[in-house]
Amino acid sequence: MQRSTGLLLATVIGLVATGCGSGEPATPSAGGAKAVTITVACQPARTAPKERQAWDDDVATFMKAHPGVTVKSTDQQPCFDPKTFGPKLAGGQMETVFVVPVTNYNDVIGQGQALDITQYTSSIKNWNDLRADARELVTKDGKVYGVPNVLYGVGLVYNRALFTQAGLDPNNPPKTWAEVREAAKKIAGLGSDYVGYGEYSGGNTGGWHFTQAIYGRGGEVLSADNKTAAFNSPEGKAVLQTLHDMRWVDNSMGNKLLIGWESLMVAMGGGKVGMMLGAPDVVTDVVTKFKGKTADYGITALPEAKASLSGGEAYMINPKATPDEVKAGMEWIDFRFNTVGKGRFDFARGKAIGNPVGVPDNAVYGDSPTGKAIQADRVKNASLPVENYQSYVDSAASIAPKAEPMHAQEIYAVLDVPMSAVLSRKDANIDDLLKDAETKVNNLLAAKG
Amino acid sequence: MISGARGQLKDERRERGDGGVRRAPADRRRSGGRRRSPRPIHVQFRTIISPHQLNSRWGRRLYWLALVTVIVVFTLAFVLPLYWMITGAMKTPEEVAEMPPTLFPAQPTLDPFFEAWDLFDIGTLLVNTVYYALGGWLFCMVVDVTAAYALSKLRPMFGNVILGAMLATLMIPPMVILIPLYVTIVDLGLLNNPWGLWFPAAANGFNIFLLKRFFDSIPRELIEAAQIDGAGPVRVLWSVVLPVSRPILGVVSIFTIVTAFKDFVLPLLVMTESDKMTISVGLSQTAGAVTQNQVMGGLVITSIPMIIVFFIFQRHIMAGLTAGSIKG
Amino acid sequence: MGILRRNLTAYGFLCAALFCFAVFAWYPMVREFILSFQKTDLINPPEWVGLENFKGAVQDPAFGEAWLNTVEFTLLALLCGYAVPFVVALVLNELRHARAYLRFVVYLPVMLPPIVAVLLFRWFYDPGPGLFNQILDLVNLPPLAWLDSSSTALISLVIVSTWMNMGSATLIYLAALQNIPSELYEAAELDGAGVFKRIRHVTIPQTRLILLLMLMLQIVATMQVFIEPYMLTGGGPENATVSVAYLMYQFAFSQMNYGQAGALGMMLMIVLLAFAAFQLRTTREDAA
Repeated sequence: MQRSTGLLLATVIGLVATGCGSGEPATPSAGGAKAVTITVACQPARTAPKERQAWDDDVATFMKAHPGVTVKSTDQQPCFDPKTFGPKLAGGQMETVFVVPVTNYNDVIGQGQALDITQYTSSIKNWNDLRADARELVTKDGKVYGVPNVLYGVGLVYNRALFTQAGLDPNNPPKTWAEVREAAKKIAGLGSDYVGYGEYSGGNTGGWHFTQAIYGRGGEVLSADNKTAAFNSPEGKAVLQTLHDMRWVDNSMGNKLLIGWESLMVAMGGGKVGMMLGAPDVVTDVVTKFKGKTADYGITALPEAKASLSGGEAYMINPKATPDEVKAGMEWIDFRFNTVGKGRFDFARGKAIGNPVGVPDNAVYGDSPTGKAIQADRVKNASLPVENYQSYVDSAASIAPKAEPMHAQEIYAVLDVPMSAVLSRKDANIDDLLKDAETKVNNLLAAKG
Repeated sequence: MISGARGQLKDERRERGDGGVRRAPADRRRSGGRRRSPRPIHVQFRTIISPHQLNSRWGRRLYWLALVTVIVVFTLAFVLPLYWMITGAMKTPEEVAEMPPTLFPAQPTLDPFFEAWDLFDIGTLLVNTVYYALGGWLFCMVVDVTAAYALSKLRPMFGNVILGAMLATLMIPPMVILIPLYVTIVDLGLLNNPWGLWFPAAANGFNIFLLKRFFDSIPRELIEAAQIDGAGPVRVLWSVVLPVSRPILGVVSIFTIVTAFKDFVLPLLVMTESDKMTISVGLSQTAGAVTQNQVMGGLVITSIPMIIVFFIFQRHIMAGLTAGSIKG
Repeated sequence: MGILRRNLTAYGFLCAALFCFAVFAWYPMVREFILSFQKTDLINPPEWVGLENFKGAVQDPAFGEAWLNTVEFTLLALLCGYAVPFVVALVLNELRHARAYLRFVVYLPVMLPPIVAVLLFRWFYDPGPGLFNQILDLVNLPPLAWLDSSSTALISLVIVSTWMNMGSATLIYLAALQNIPSELYEAAELDGAGVFKRIRHVTIPQTRLILLLMLMLQIVATMQVFIEPYMLTGGGPENATVSVAYLMYQFAFSQMNYGQAGALGMMLMIVLLAFAAFQLRTTREDAA
């Protein structure tokens, strides 16, 4: 029913556009009925020319293998931008194949903004090897709405070069928050523009990292029935207290508030930030998008971790796509993102263009046969000593993954407030801040019903 | 009421005369006796301070002090930021982060400009922005001039009601109807389509108001003469009304173009594809991911077209600025 | 020309404008009203939800702060953006030299796209190598946190906003000052009025109408503040810079709740219209 509404709307819009005489003529199906054009999201930006070239090569290879299919890429950065995601979806401007982060699965699927692709999953040859819990997240009422693309848990990303410089052992990164504080202090001591530990405080990223931290300490954001806030707890206080003390007692967090995803990534890539919370993809992004030096970055287990916020993304299909477009789109997803040794798993090429190969940045295939084949290939072409990441990999097996809270964006917006408070005010009263945020979230949950 | 652009031009003319120190018999007479003050401060028309006070010994000292202070403060407030932007774009990322900062780039380089050009894809963004601005201007002029002409010279039934309804839109701030306007654009399928910017731009009550008022002042006889010669309404508009309306057309044109070039929120929502964005939106999207000197390079390149426009059309812009708001 | 024919021709000339206004100016006003009573994600058919959206907007955790911030921003912006240009115009009007230069530089920022000013000041506000803290350091003052503290963030936004907008107000005042007949000053001087008395009794009454008009324009303009919090602070720290317009944007495009955004837009529209009506009446009485 939702699909037919979508189609109807598409037709109406088409008619209106033609009626106004302003619509561009639809792409003519040249000759055979097979001609189909799809748009695909997430082409790497111009700021990462080698990555972009690799993507373009893949597009060319794919188009050669699928005559009649034309692939157009969009390179909006970041590929998922909460600011333009809504408008694009609402305005029917979403690509045929687009990416959705875990945080937004519920919204997008719930509002009928992604196509039911249950009958197309066979296009993904390794579908059954994808981790069951990842597939579960994109399934609703027995119908599949996406192809899980990335899955990971949070760890502690750190700059190995700065550890060495500060007299710390990069092979023995901190395992407790006390050790994190000590290390941060030493790194900050390297100079006035060095930051021991970087953390977000605004644009919903503050609340997001608060959630990472409180999960790690074994706390909760919401109660089990999702009806009340649960972060006003000893764990929540500990998160804020640690940050407050690092910022104001140790002075190891720099003096700049970081707002929005790129801000901390740029700082990390600049090579003057010692540590941050992050998944392994942070390492990849810092190197490929933000000019970090490949060998400098390591990742280890989240200190004292009891659980870990799972992050990730899935590719979904535009509900307005025609069956031919869906088929082509799924084949693209299969080729570029789900084939051992091809596309993003072409580690030989990755190594050749200087990517940090060896980072265990994706557990979406778990230890299925495909997952093992990918891992073997990754290790074979590793450009980095894979033992740098072993402690993270080991811990990932034992730390329980934990999903994002309901209404994540609204709650993150509320949690930005205590995060920005402890990082911007020395006299911030943590008890009051948490209590205040608790009231706000409770009201919000009550209003949402 | 509000006086016309022509009234303003009069001001300009009046002011042009007082720029420098010129031959002014009255003043020379007034200060002729003083030896220590060879160059009296010339006063063309008086303001709060009387010429007499101004040319007293303390008045003059205070005047020069005030003048120098104002020049220094204005330069610091409005020119220094731009200087900092330009030199910032000529420094290396390390030099930009240096504390204390360097006043001049140690090794001036133009590389950040080229890097910014590539990273932001400024070529595409600029072409887009110019295309949207000029296209919007053309459409806006056709729509608003014809409408103002009809309301002013053809005087249809309900003309005043229509004019009133158009002017009423001026009371509604753009931000307030942003969401429904956006939703309407979405419904019409105009996302990522220049018409999504051009249609709303043409619905400009202020332009119609300015144009209509100017057309109202064109003498009837001029038009009647043309009509006797057998000219239809289109001919009258084209060969009688438009030629005498050049000043107001210039003012409206420049403001329409400049507004389109500066616009941010609507293009942010309407032009979402990276190869269709305007320069403002494109900069805002990528600025977080590049170095500070590259950001500054991008900003300098973005500013240049507007600064050139300002240099060329300075007089028109300043005249137009006051055209609509001066109450005579 | 017959009446019918004249009307037909006139409406022929008017049709393009009528279309643009109807669809892109008048209809959105009506649409805002409809939208605020509907739940819509633009994909599925909208549902009528009564006052649900207004309730949702009022209950949003940042609703109260957004209004307070907007009012505070407007008042601060008036202080900076309304009084300062007038004083500047007064001073400029007294100067006999470098007038072209001064007018040019004061208007220069107005020509720049707002994004340039905003990104430029984002760098100046950097607590480390940013220009402002370096200047403070130069004169031996302690650094400020600018955008990074809830106590200074809002005023920092006001400074950017004033910098990029004050040029037009200044030039408008300047033009108004030049229209004051000099005889009035001469008469006041003969009555023995000093400089400040002349300002009070001649300058201000003579420019009263323009001052009132600008007051209204400025309040309406600053109440819509969006790009500054959007680009510089993301509404933080501690919601200190969430404006109504910014919250509206968040409702629509972060929470995809267009109805709730419409409801908030309605509230802002009502406030501004009420204000404008009040102001208009004062101005009219004044003019009479």
